[in-house]
Amino acid sequence: MIVRTANLNLYYHQFQALINVNLAIKENVITGIIGPSGCGKSTLLRVFNRMNDLIDGVRITGSVVIDDEDIYSPVFDLTALRKRVGMVFQRPNAFPLSVFDNVAYGPRVWGISDKKTLTEIVERSLAAVDLFNDLKDYLQRSALSLSAEKQQRLCIARLLAVEPEILLMDEPCSALDPIATGKIEELMIMLKQKYTIVIVTHNMQQAARIADDVGFMLLGELIEFDKAKKIFTDPADERTFGYISGRFG
Amino acid sequence: MDRHFDEELQNVKKNLLEMASLVEESITKSLEALEKKDLRKAAEISEIDHRIDKFEIAIEEQCIELIARHQPVGADLRFLVGVIKINNDLERMGDHAVNIADCVSFLIEQKHIKSVTNIWSMVRVVIEMLRNSVESFMNNDAERAQKVCERDSVVDGMRDETMRILLTYMLEHPQMIGAAIPFLLVAKNLERIADLSTNICEDVIYIAQARVIKHHAEEQK
Repeated sequence: MIVRTANLNLYYHQFQALINVNLAIKENVITGIIGPSGCGKSTLLRVFNRMNDLIDGVRITGSVVIDDEDIYSPVFDLTALRKRVGMVFQRPNAFPLSVFDNVAYGPRVWGISDKKTLTEIVERSLAAVDLFNDLKDYLQRSALSLSAEKQQRLCIARLLAVEPEILLMDEPCSALDPIATGKIEELMIMLKQKYTIVIVTHNMQQAARIADDVGFMLLGELIEFDKAKKIFTDPADERTFGYISGRFG
Repeated sequence: MDRHFDEELQNVKKNLLEMASLVEESITKSLEALEKKDLRKAAEISEIDHRIDKFEIAIEEQCIELIARHQPVGADLRFLVGVIKINNDLERMGDHAVNIADCVSFLIEQKHIKSVTNIWSMVRVVIEMLRNSVESFMNNDAERAQKVCERDSVVDGMRDETMRILLTYMLEHPQMIGAAIPFLLVAKNLERIADLSTNICEDVIYIAQARVIKHHAEEQK
């Protein structure tokens, strides 16, 4: 197990957004988190890279362990965590820089300035998301001139450039059309060989297509967590079935 | 208020039950025709089978459309997959009724040998299995379906016994071979109908409980 939560509770001031969540995410699999709006799935995702720390009034109890290290320990290195755990958002958030500078941004922050090394990292990262052949002659072009799908791929390449272990994806295809969605899904399946992926999605079919494990959340609780095959053919909890079959939510 | 999809699922179930009732009618009529050597009744079977075939196509199309348009999951998915398989089993049962009805014309010119076969007790068990399989589907009743599966070996035994009786009878009365062979065929068709009832019940158990019991799958896990 690479990520484990134990009795995790999260409060926004008085409101409890996560209730006693116990979860174990395995290495090199895609874990899908599904549930209706406001159920806490994005909050849970942000727990894994401590992005909730940026929100005023957030309080957490319980533990979140990545590879035997409690990431909420006061001595835990937050910058190192952000390097190990990358995040992809709903809308591609390419920087208004060139393709090259977007991908080289993270390594530069980490102190790499050698042009040859940076070029190698950029080429390797773009190749990993299947963009290098398309963009090798346009590395100085503005990233914002790319299609939404390519921008999302570029954002993933930017994460890979700092060599993370875990990729968090918050509705990464919600701004993309079905063709682009299919390409990103194929990319995710390819990437899971090297990375552990946690994806939050509203799209049940997407979770069914790509996730190995699926967790269903409702009103801050993790109702059910199991293999995707089990969740989508024989969910144990009536509420899971109600949600995935569209009977509520 | 039911969703449109729930109404569609109920509609599929209604159609499958109508088809099942036609299949039962076809099998019982074919056996009545056999018992009474009634050629007119036997001739009705192919017309019923034609209606069964139409049901099969319509139900299959309904299921494929619902899967394509609604991407069902969980119990809904199991239901539709189960219906596709049960639909196919029912259609094949209809074909066995046609086979039984075809035997009637061979018996017309033959002497009666009812007393030497236990085929009529086999008929009772097979019809009971068919009815119970359909009712277990109708009520999503896995327990009842399990009991039907357990009856399959009883029918296999009856088929073997019928074969033995008829073979001995043919050896002792070679002039009656022509009268006995149709009963051998009927026994084989009845045994297949029992197998198909068992298949239906295996699918009912999958639909109701997500358990795969065919080919002893659970024991092999």
